[in-house]
Amino acid sequence: MNTTVVAQLQRQFQDYIVSLYQQGFLDNQFSELRKLQDEGTPDFVSEVVFLFFDDCSKLINTMSTSLEQPDNVDFKQLDSGVHQLKGSSSSVGAKRVKNVCISFKECCDVQNREGCLRCLQQVDYEYKMLKTKLQELFNLEQQILQAGGTIPQVDIS
Amino acid sequence: MTVEQNFEALDQFPVGMRVLAVDDDQTCLKILETLLRHCQYHVTTTNQAQKALELLRENKNKFDLVISDVDMPDMDGFKLLELVGLEMDLPVIMLSAHSDPKYVMKGVTHGACDYLLKPVRIEELKNIWQHVVRSRFDKNRGSNNGDKRDGSGNEGVGNSDQNNGRANNRKRKDQYNEDDDEEKDDNDDSSAQKKQRVVWTVELHKKFVAAVNQLGYEKAMPKKILDLMNVEKLTRENVASHLQKFRLYLKRISGVANQQAIMANPDLHFLQMSSSLNGLDGFHHRPIPVGSGQFHGGAPAMRSFPPNGILGRLNTPSGIGVHNLSSPPAGMFLQNQTDLGKFHHVSSLPLNHSDGGNILQGLPLPSEFDQLQTNNNNNNIRNMNNNKSIAGTSMAFPSFSTQQNSIIGAPNNNLVVLEGHPQASPPSFPGHQINKRLEHWSNAVSLSTLPPPPAQNSNSIHHHFDVSPLPHSKPDTLEWNNVSSSYSIPFCDSATTLSPPALDTSTTNPRAFCRNTDFDSNTNAQPGGFYDTLQTRQSGNYGPTTDAMLSSNPKEGFVVGQHKLQSGGFMSAEAGSLDDIVNSTMKQEQSQGDLSGGDLGYGGFSSLRTCI
Repeated sequence: MNTTVVAQLQRQFQDYIVSLYQQGFLDNQFSELRKLQDEGTPDFVSEVVFLFFDDCSKLINTMSTSLEQPDNVDFKQLDSGVHQLKGSSSSVGAKRVKNVCISFKECCDVQNREGCLRCLQQVDYEYKMLKTKLQELFNLEQQILQAGGTIPQVDIS
Repeated sequence: MTVEQNFEALDQFPVGMRVLAVDDDQTCLKILETLLRHCQYHVTTTNQAQKALELLRENKNKFDLVISDVDMPDMDGFKLLELVGLEMDLPVIMLSAHSDPKYVMKGVTHGACDYLLKPVRIEELKNIWQHVVRSRFDKNRGSNNGDKRDGSGNEGVGNSDQNNGRANNRKRKDQYNEDDDEEKDDNDDSSAQKKQRVVWTVELHKKFVAAVNQLGYEKAMPKKILDLMNVEKLTRENVASHLQKFRLYLKRISGVANQQAIMANPDLHFLQMSSSLNGLDGFHHRPIPVGSGQFHGGAPAMRSFPPNGILGRLNTPSGIGVHNLSSPPAGMFLQNQTDLGKFHHVSSLPLNHSDGGNILQGLPLPSEFDQLQTNNNNNNIRNMNNNKSIAGTSMAFPSFSTQQNSIIGAPNNNLVVLEGHPQASPPSFPGHQINKRLEHWSNAVSLSTLPPPPAQNSNSIHHHFDVSPLPHSKPDTLEWNNVSSSYSIPFCDSATTLSPPALDTSTTNPRAFCRNTDFDSNTNAQPGGFYDTLQTRQSGNYGPTTDAMLSSNPKEGFVVGQHKLQSGGFMSAEAGSLDDIVNSTMKQEQSQGDLSGGDLGYGGFSSLRTCI
């Protein structure tokens, strides 16, 4: 094991994940999830996160369909979708996505189709962005593990 | 799980507690599953409510606890909650991203033992095993009719008396749990409450009483009573619970009467009687220990009661008001009569046992009634009502008739009279007396319907007699009215037989008692103008008018200056012990009252009820 490489990777990992928190991509809930990961469930976080992204894409598709026709928007269904997205995003710690959902819900409440469309686009953007970021993070984790190191527990204060 | 594993799991509880997790969101479900596993529970997951039901139905003993999301496409989480509670009687925890209190309330009213917000934290899940323990504990303590949920959602036929009554009662395996479900009951009027419960209507209670009489009080057993009553869908447990409460009530009455007889002055007599009547009401609800005796003592005795417990509360502090009665002018109590609640109190005037039957002694003079009427000393009344000096009840009817005159003069007194028939003998509860008492109550009810004497401001007085809940003109007074009406004659049905010619309304006051948890005064159709006046009266009294009313009665020492009911419509007793009691009660209530925003005009109305 190349301790230098491992140390380097670990530092890289640490810096990266801290930056994600600082930029608001992630919040405390994510670190809670990380705590749940152990030897028994080494891939827990990545599994959950990918489930989340899967949910996102499905929900976004559904909502997009709901918003398609200007004069026939099913705001109820939209609201239900936003609600679910909000729930799951808050559960994984996807902070930005969650925040967009809050605005999204407000648009739904007042039946603002334009606003909803914008929010939908934003949600789409945010979740994809987060997906990219997290994939990078998991890659770093893998590299550390492959280099024989352990993934550092990062304390977000 | 193998047998050994099961045993191990049980031994190590909460480790190995079997949880069924339901959430249509796969992300959340996975997280929940992992969190639960980290708490060392045994977890089964499904993303469909229907599947969850199947799993539960397949083997009712397979799970200890269910956690379910609220928003699910195939079935509303609340619906699942209800079904689980009804069919499997398992504790259910709701999970949702909705933090809106109304959802939380809905969860509670549908019987959830807890409501968690997403994202769920592991700390919260670490404690959920308490709900299982509570549920088992409650089950062991006694069986309930209908759904029995864990502690938080307990309901059933009234609440068992958690006070002395319980100690006094012989142990019964079907004691109802302490009703901790104020929150649930607060939404009494909401249709959310779907649990089956037995509502002891006047008619039903009459049958019950008849059966008890027929069997003999001492020999009355739930099974036999049930057979005699021959009511469909009534279970032995229902009867047993009711019987227990009834016994408590009677005991309380006799106990109070003993105390009161000594301490109370004649004026109090009247009130005591009513309080004893109320006692019946308290029968259903958590009665305050009769022993409190002291007026002041009433306050502590007053506990937060289940929503329908208002009646109970009013009735409860047996001692409440009775003792105090001596201090405030008798009229004060009568004042309370202005509202229904007072009604009860009024009747709670201590029986003048030594009197040998002149109930009227304790009856306030007509002028006093006026004062009373104006005085919304609900508190007083309540307290007085709590006074379970039902001693009067054991009095024979004959005396009643003699007092009728006075009754007419003082309608309020009627009520009192009814209940407060002077006892020729020391209050006790021989079986035969009970019958009489019951009759008295019934009669009392009918008396209540006496039309107001022209000279008096009978409106208020009449109100008191109103046994049955009056339809409320205002939603917020609803509860109030209910309370008062129910007070009038616990257990009693519209007796009517006794009624003097003037009485035409079959006051079915017994509602109070009969009512299980909901004061549906609104639903009571009050015959005649009597009730109409009552209604108006009541509404007036309950509302902001109380202050004015109060001040108009110079005599009502402690009534005067009392503020009208606070948010819940309770009068904040400021002056005197009664006030203190009321205040303390109200404070309790108010905090609870906030929960019940619901349909009540007063936010905390339901809680107020309890105070009364």
